[in-house]
Amino acid sequence: MLKLIKLEWKRNNISRLIRNAVIMTAVLLVFIMITAGEAGADVTTRGFFNKSFIHASVELFTHMSYMVFTGVMLAGLIVGEYEKGTIRLLFSYPIKRQKIMLSKIFAVWIFNFMALVISKLLMYAVVLATGSFTHIPSTDIPYGYWLFWVELLLGSAAMISISFLALPVGMKMKSSKATVVAAVIVVCFTQGNIGEFTLAYSVPFYTLLFVLAIFAVFLSTYRVEEKDV
Amino acid sequence: MSYILQTDHLTKVIDGKEIVTDVNLHVKKGEIYGFLGPNGAGKTTVMKMLANLWKPSGGRIELFGETLTPRSYEALRRMGSIIEFPIFYDHMTGYENLKMHCEYMGYYQHGSIENALALLELSEAAKKPVKNYSLGMKERLGIARAILCKPELLILDEPTNGLDPAGMKQIRSLLKMLCTEYGITIMVSTHILSEIESIADTVGVIHHGRMMQEIGMKEIEQMSLAYIELVTTETERAAYVMSDKLGIKNFRILENGEIRIYDTAVSTQELSKTLALNDVAVTALGRKNENLENYFLKMTSEGGAHHVEIN
Repeated sequence: MLKLIKLEWKRNNISRLIRNAVIMTAVLLVFIMITAGEAGADVTTRGFFNKSFIHASVELFTHMSYMVFTGVMLAGLIVGEYEKGTIRLLFSYPIKRQKIMLSKIFAVWIFNFMALVISKLLMYAVVLATGSFTHIPSTDIPYGYWLFWVELLLGSAAMISISFLALPVGMKMKSSKATVVAAVIVVCFTQGNIGEFTLAYSVPFYTLLFVLAIFAVFLSTYRVEEKDV
Repeated sequence: MSYILQTDHLTKVIDGKEIVTDVNLHVKKGEIYGFLGPNGAGKTTVMKMLANLWKPSGGRIELFGETLTPRSYEALRRMGSIIEFPIFYDHMTGYENLKMHCEYMGYYQHGSIENALALLELSEAAKKPVKNYSLGMKERLGIARAILCKPELLILDEPTNGLDPAGMKQIRSLLKMLCTEYGITIMVSTHILSEIESIADTVGVIHHGRMMQEIGMKEIEQMSLAYIELVTTETERAAYVMSDKLGIKNFRILENGEIRIYDTAVSTQELSKTLALNDVAVTALGRKNENLENYFLKMTSEGGAHHVEIN
C-alpha cells in the first residue's frame, strides 16, 4: 500500500503540490498577521476553549484552505483519472482495484493532513518568533496547554476527512469541477457563519460529518472490482 | 487443442441493448489471431472484456486455462494490452510512463525499458513529455509498454491507428517477430484485412456483435474464392431461370445487372445455353477470382453472409 501511495504522489508531481502548499501557507500567514495586528486582543469562543484572534484565525483560514486543497487533489488524483480514462490503465494492472482506490484516498489524506499540521505549526512558530516587533502577543497562543495540541491534531484530521464528502459528488457527476465545488460547499457549511450562528467546532456536527465522510469513501470504492471502466 | 484464450457465448448488454452476442472465439497458444470487423462491430467491447476492464453480462472467458473473474489479477500480469487507444500520463515523459508501468506490474529487469524503446525506435523521444508526441508515436509507445513485461498474450486493439504505411509495416514485422522469436500469442483487431492478412494465422470475423466466422488463413488460401460473373439486363428473369431450371441457389444479385454465382461447379456453357433458351439476354459471362478483402467485406456487409457458404 505504501508503495502505491508513493507512486500516486510521484505521478501527481508531489514537489509541485508541496510548492503550492508552501505558497498558500505564506500568503495566508501574511494575511492573518495583517488582520491580527488590526484586531488586537479580541477573543473568540470557538472550539474547546477560548481563543485569541490570531489563534482562531490560523485555525479557520488553514482549515478553509486545506479543505479546498483536498477537494482539488481528490479531483486530480481520483475523479480526473475517471474523466480522462487513465483509471483504465491503473485497473489493467494485477492489483486489486479497491487497493488502488484506497491508495489514492490515503495519498490525498496523508498529504493534506501533514501539510495542514505543518502549516499551522509554521504559522504559530512565526507568530512566536516575530512577537517582539509585530505586537501580536505570542502568549495568546496556549503552547503549553495539552488541549491545544490535541485540538491541532484532531481538528486537522477531522477537517481533511470531512472534505472527502466531495468525493462521491465528483464521482457521480464524473467531473473534477463538481468535486472542487462540492469541497467549497463543505467548507462553507463547516467553517462559515450566519450572523452569530455557526456550526464550526460543533463536535456532534463534525462527528456526523466524519461518519458521513467514511460512508462517502466506502461508496466511492464499493464494488469497484465489478464495475466497467 | 491448446487455447490460451477462449470465450464461450460471451455476451455484453448495455442499457438493455446487446452489444456483443454469444461470441465464441478461440486463440491458440503461439499464434497471431486477427480479429476483424467493421467499425462498431463489437471488437473493442470484446477486447475490453478480455482485458477485464468490462465485465461480461453473459458467457465465459477462459484465459490461460482459467475462467476470468473480476478478481483474476494474476491473469493481468501475464498479458499486455492496448484497448481503444493507448492511455498515458501526458505530463510525464515516455520513459517515466514505462518506468511507472514496471512499478505497477512488479517487473524489474535492468535494461528492459531501454530495449522496448529501442525496438519501437523511441529512444530519443522517450525523454520528451508524452503530450508532445504525435498519434503514431503514442501508438508505438503503447506497444512498447504492452510488450515491456514480456507478456504471454498481447491484446492489441487497432494498433496501427494513426500510423503511416511504413509505420504499419514496421508494426506488422514487429508482431511477427514477437510471435516467432518470443513465442508471444497475439490477438490483434482491425477493420482492414490487408493489415493482418500477411501475418495472421487465424482470423475471427465479427459483425453486429456476433462472430460470423473463425477460420485459419491456410484454409482461406486453400479455399477457392472463384465465382462466375454474369451480366444481364434481365436480372430477375435470369435469377428465376438459374434457380428454377438449373437449381443454382448460391448466387448474389449486385447492381448494374451483375450476378455472381458462387456455385462454381456450374458449367458456363450450360448456363449460357439455358439462359439463351429462356430468352435472357446475356451481356457478359465469365469466371473470376474474388480477392480476400471482398470476401470479408461480403461477410460483413448487410445480409451478405446469407449467400456465402463456407465449409
